[in-house]
Amino acid sequence: MTVITHNRRRSRLSTLIDQPGGVSVGTALKQAHANLAEYEARSREVIEEQVSALAGMKPPPSPEQASAALDQAYARASAVIDAAGPFEMKDICTAAANLCDLIDAAPEDQSFDWRIVTVHAQALRLLLTLPAEANDARAQVLESLKDVLKAKVPGGAKG
Amino acid sequence: MRGMNGVGETLRESAVFNFDGAMTMVVDDSPFAMELTAQALLGFGIKVRHTCAEAAEAIKILQTHPVDLILVDCEMPGMSGYEFVRWLRRSGLEPNAYAPVIMTAAHVRRSKVSEARDCGANFLITKPFSAGVLLERIVWVAKDTRPFLEVGDYFGPDRRFKEEPWPGPERRSEEIRKAQFEAQRRGSIEL
Repeated sequence: MTVITHNRRRSRLSTLIDQPGGVSVGTALKQAHANLAEYEARSREVIEEQVSALAGMKPPPSPEQASAALDQAYARASAVIDAAGPFEMKDICTAAANLCDLIDAAPEDQSFDWRIVTVHAQALRLLLTLPAEANDARAQVLESLKDVLKAKVPGGAKG
Repeated sequence: MRGMNGVGETLRESAVFNFDGAMTMVVDDSPFAMELTAQALLGFGIKVRHTCAEAAEAIKILQTHPVDLILVDCEMPGMSGYEFVRWLRRSGLEPNAYAPVIMTAAHVRRSKVSEARDCGANFLITKPFSAGVLLERIVWVAKDTRPFLEVGDYFGPDRRFKEEPWPGPERRSEEIRKAQFEAQRRGSIEL
């Protein structure tokens, strides 16, 4: 196969970052964390909205509607990860990613066990209400979700 | 291209970067995710110049405005982030076709893994990621000196991060031809 190599020109960004002025990494990170902290409460609201929507999802009435419903559930689980991502809510992200993995691995020629969505919504709700120090309970919830993944997707659970 | 999670935050706290004047574009269909990205960038001193809720909007802007850094969400309705980056690299737009691109993803579908690798982005970051990781990756793509390669339908930065000799027999036809040519040349000199 032919390979054409275009020698990389220095990007303007690389020139800009070395210009005098700017901020130190320490300051930049402090500022970023301070900016993001203002959105933490809103982030929680977004997560709760998405989890409620997931909990309220009903199994699609016909196989033709299954794909769209699964896409919607996948989008909601992804939105949970988007919102939780910057705020050290790793357990929430892990639970939502578990659901994404399950939906992603759902065989198209078989009906999806919709209880999976309900179980994940309930688990996410529980994780949201558990006190910060309840590490064992969090680990237990995540472990049970991982078991669902192991059962439904052989080789799908990581770690 | 490879995922970012797990890579340490290796920037020195005292290192100084100046992103003033960097024309930055963020493409994300989720307004909240877009806002979070913009706020993190603002902390780094990057004011997002172009925020686009869909790839089509970004394409219009890229045709007339030079951009220094692009952050794009992988999964978007309509044209996906992968398709967008593929379009960008093949667009022939100077200098935008070569702009550093960081893709972000809440989750990468198994069916999209090869698309993520082959679309031509400089880096993919999967969520959750910290502000430190984002800053580190921005600095990294800014200093990314990998050449751009055109191989089949791939156009983008060289996907090999390290130049390590392949332990097995050479399979690349160009290398085999080069070796054959060298052997012939040596043979003709010995004659």
